[in-house]
This record gives sequence, C-alpha cells and structure tokens, in this order.
Amino acid sequence: MEITLKLYASLSQYLPENSVKHSAKFEISTSDTTISILDRFNVPDKEVHLVLLNGVYLHPEERKSLNFSDGDTLAIWPPVAGG
Amino acid sequence: MNDEQLLRYSRQMMLPEIDAAGQEKLSESRVLIVGLGGLGSPVSIYLASAGVGNIVLVDFDKVDISNLQRQIVHTTPDIGRLKIDSAKEHLQAINPDVKIDCIDHALEAKELVNEATKADVIVDASDNFQTRFALNEASVKTKTPLVSGAAIRFEGQVTVFDPRDETSPCYRCLYGDDVATQETCTANGVIAPLLGIIGSIQANETLKLLMGIGETLQGKLLLLDSLYMDLNQAILKKDPACPVCNIS
Repeated sequence: MEITLKLYASLSQYLPENSVKHSAKFEISTSDTTISILDRFNVPDKEVHLVLLNGVYLHPEERKSLNFSDGDTLAIWPPVAGG
Repeated sequence: MNDEQLLRYSRQMMLPEIDAAGQEKLSESRVLIVGLGGLGSPVSIYLASAGVGNIVLVDFDKVDISNLQRQIVHTTPDIGRLKIDSAKEHLQAINPDVKIDCIDHALEAKELVNEATKADVIVDASDNFQTRFALNEASVKTKTPLVSGAAIRFEGQVTVFDPRDETSPCYRCLYGDDVATQETCTANGVIAPLLGIIGSIQANETLKLLMGIGETLQGKLLLLDSLYMDLNQAILKKDPACPVCNIS
C-alpha cells in the first residue's frame, strides 16, 4: 500500500531528494508502524514529537503499534517552544 | 462605562456577539501573560487595546537591540530597561483604563499557583519548555484556561487547553518531559510576522474565553509552516497516561 509522509521544518532534510516541498509518497508493508517508517528515513527519535496520522495526534504508544491503511498521511513536526 | 470608553470600544461592541455585556466581562477580567517577547508583544497590545481590565505581565529580561526586530511592544529608547516596564508604559499609553501589574522574576511554586488562581486566563508566551510545563501544571491545578503559542524559524503552533472541561488534553499530553530540544529564537532565528500571527491568534482566543463566545482551539492544535504557508489543524486527544491531567 502507499502512504504520504510529510516532514515539516527542520525534519524535511530527511526526505528523499526528489521530494516536493516536505512531502513524499512511498510503498509500505502492512506491518509497518510510525517507528519503522521513521527508522527507514533515519529521522532521529529525539526530533520527533508531534506525529499526526490523517490530522490526528498520535501518542507515543500508538506510534509503536498502530498500522496504516492505503492512502494515509503521516505528518511529523519538530517540537517548538520559542516565543 | 463612560462616553469615551463607549467610543473607544465601539467597533467591537457593535459586534452582536460582544455588545456591552462582552465589554463589561473584558473590563472585569484578569489575564496573566508570561513572556513579553515576540509573542507577548502582540498578545499584550491586543488585550490592552480591547479593554481587558487587569493584565499581569511576567518577565525578568531586559530589552536588547536584537529583540526589536520582532518584540513590537518595545522601542529603541527602551533598550536596557526591564521588558515589563517598557511594555507597561507602552500599553498604558494605548489604554490608560487597563490596570497593569508587573512581576520581574520567574513565577514559581506557590506564587505561580496564586497568580494562576487569580487569573481568568493564562497566556503562555514564554520561550522554553521548563516554563511551559510549569504554567501547564498551574493551569490544571487551578482549572484556569491556558492559551499556548510557540514559534521558531518559520514554524508556529497555537492551541487552548481548558482544564474546566475534563475531556480537555493538557500541554503535557502533547509534549513529554523527554523533549530534548531547547531551541530558542535567539539561537535559531525567527521571522518576525510569524510571531504576530501566532500571538494575534492567542489574543483572539483569550478574548473569546473571557467573554464566553464562539469556540476555542481546545482539542485542536494549529500548526503553521509560514515558509510555504502550509496551515494544518491537528486533533489533540487527552493522554490516558498523562501524569499531570489524569491524576484523579
């Protein structure tokens, strides 16, 4: 199945070179989780805090176990605390 | 309300959702603003202009020339002054009706809980996770709504946590204490109008909370990548394992 991965702000550097803006589509297996996908793109754990699946925030436990459906969009934002 | 006040607030009082009743609520309200930097500047200016009766400003920092690109409540002659003094003078010039109290040190422990208890809304305009976690705990403990904004580089986030509603998530549901970054605008840079956008949304949410009108961002997190003008809204859920808001 195919999903869309969006890596925002400083995380966009981990997307493949042919990505448009901060988005890439690619094939995954039914057993993939958020953690396995981020490992595939070498995104450091410590930079991952806001994980959204189809616009809904995923808590850390859900990132280890929740699988995907065809057409899902996984979006990751780095933590932001400035002001 | 005297004739001058009626005239001053006429353009918002003509909105049926606000009217005289909403204006009265604003004049009787008290808002705690923590941080008088890039976010606290637009927040404080809009809340004072709108006639929020009591505003408490918290910041221990002094105005530096490098602040002036984005911290619009301060001006060049203010360099070297405490930000709370500079902001108070500017805000009183905009609206002398507003009572402004200043706190020139970090709000902690009992003093923080005391100020949170007295406030109708807490505005988090701070620049670090330590302060953000402390404000969140005080918000949950005292059941005072927390309007939370953050910005760095081209990215901004804003939401409302309202512990008066037991289903509301809190800031700690969103960020665990393992959050590693301590990135600041000082070290990483920020584009100035982004702070105006996020801070203005914080002010708008605060006014709505004070008047009890409309719907707030509770349960929703706005995420803005202003470099590409990509605006996202995420649904936030209460974390069943949250150590702050799920202690019964």
